[in-house]
Amino acid sequence: MPVTIDYSKLRIIPDPDTREWWDATRQHKYLVRRCNRCGHKWFPPNIPACSKCMSMEIGWFETAGKGVIHSYVVVVQPIVGAFVGAVPYVVAVIELDDCKEEDGSVTRVAGVLTNDETEVAIGLPCEVLFEATNDPKIVMPRWRVSGSAENTWKFSE
Amino acid sequence: MGALTDKYCIVGVGETPQMRPSNRTTLSMACEAVTKAMMDAGLAASDIDGMTSYQVADSTSSAHVATALGLRLNYCLDIFGGGSSTEALVAHAIGLIEAGYAKTIVCFRSMNGRSGRRMGGQIPGGPIPVATAMDDNQFNMGWGWTTPAQRFGMSAMRYLRDTGCTTKAFAEIAVAHRYHASLNPKARLRSPITIDDHQRSRWVVKPFRLLDCCQETDVAAAIIVTSRERAYDLRHPPVFIMGGYARTMTEAPQWNYSRPVLHYVAGNYGWKRAFGMAGISHSDVDFVSCYDAFTFTTLIQLEANGFCGPGEAGEFVKGGRLQIDHELPSNLSGGHLSEGYTHGVQMVIENVRQLRHRADDACPEWREGRHTYDRSKGCRQVKNARICCGMAWGWENMASCLILRGIAA
Repeated sequence: MPVTIDYSKLRIIPDPDTREWWDATRQHKYLVRRCNRCGHKWFPPNIPACSKCMSMEIGWFETAGKGVIHSYVVVVQPIVGAFVGAVPYVVAVIELDDCKEEDGSVTRVAGVLTNDETEVAIGLPCEVLFEATNDPKIVMPRWRVSGSAENTWKFSE
Repeated sequence: MGALTDKYCIVGVGETPQMRPSNRTTLSMACEAVTKAMMDAGLAASDIDGMTSYQVADSTSSAHVATALGLRLNYCLDIFGGGSSTEALVAHAIGLIEAGYAKTIVCFRSMNGRSGRRMGGQIPGGPIPVATAMDDNQFNMGWGWTTPAQRFGMSAMRYLRDTGCTTKAFAEIAVAHRYHASLNPKARLRSPITIDDHQRSRWVVKPFRLLDCCQETDVAAAIIVTSRERAYDLRHPPVFIMGGYARTMTEAPQWNYSRPVLHYVAGNYGWKRAFGMAGISHSDVDFVSCYDAFTFTTLIQLEANGFCGPGEAGEFVKGGRLQIDHELPSNLSGGHLSEGYTHGVQMVIENVRQLRHRADDACPEWREGRHTYDRSKGCRQVKNARICCGMAWGWENMASCLILRGIAA
């Protein structure tokens, strides 16, 4: 069953470091930060400096929005009003396919899956999609499982 | 050994009851806790010249508390912080006294953690009706991922996957800490539980069940640090500060889930310094406290602080190892899981009481340091308690530690 979020109960306030990121999601683009000096990429985008080389000359990298589930939780007791009708829902940390760097570092992002927990496992591929909210200025990225994989791991109760 | 090992002591401890709700201000509760800690130490108002506290924009200040009680301070400071701050303020007090800025310092935490500001931003009555997300929250509130349970659960889930550990290991911790709470008249939850009780409790956020999560309480607690020379004249046998580490951090912030191993937490970077400073090894430790915001935070810190190897914590805690009269008793007051939640102070307080051999249990003569060691009669004093290692957790990325000893060690 698709997980429905009541965005009328959520107000996102972009700031000078994140406005361009929210502008991009409105155009259905998923960005991560990129250092203009050394190329290191990171998320979340409100971190204003490169932790590899300390540069503050930073830009953006548009990812393909595809990755692999690195970990997840299943929220059963809601805390944020917008999600009261959505429980149980899955939040995952996703390792992006196109953000692997030569020194072995990777960029991971987080988001809510559209899938319910029976369809989710660590190791499964997933992809981003974009969801309109009540605020015309805010489009919210979501993620969905996009295929199968070997050697997945699933939480067993 | 560290240059200041055993030179400073914790001489007074005190706290309010664990309440929900308190119907009191954080100022009122803090005054009570500070006063009780001073009475416990046998210190007069003129003896206290330093006060520090920590908070997350949810509490009163040192200046308010000190002036309310008529204390004239040479030093006061309130820091921003939660778990791992108690031990850091002890380290800070040592530095201040050593440098001559103050002689005797009270550190407190006062919070209406249930009836006031709740963790993760919930209002007292339940979910946030309309949530406003700014700053870091832009990148978690929109995915319904705000509370410590939800955040730490992400590391815990990956830990289960990477190590083969199961939630039965979480249960061992819940059971041990609850058993200790059953011996603590001050604890909120005192009915012993079993592994099965844990496994049957309702889900909060998988992989955490209700019995994996700490209490939310309204409480204030205080401890007093002074020099060894002053400590000898006070009411109780001194408890010596052997070593520690203070708000040690990983290289990546907690909210950076790109860190190479999600469950490689800050304690890994600290424990060699603490044990080196104290001049002891793990086998010298008679009991521990281990910050139990969740069962998992205890589990992962035992591993991070070298009590077992990487990935071994699940095996390590099996068979009641953390229970009193077993190899490594943990959180003897019941901890955050069962006694109540004070953002870490109560663990230091309990460790001090244990090392004085004055656990405030059901033994008629505990005040004189005489215990029956009969658990069926409510004694929770660890026999021959000499050295304790207290491990504290801020987030995955921040941790503190305090190794203490009593006079017999």
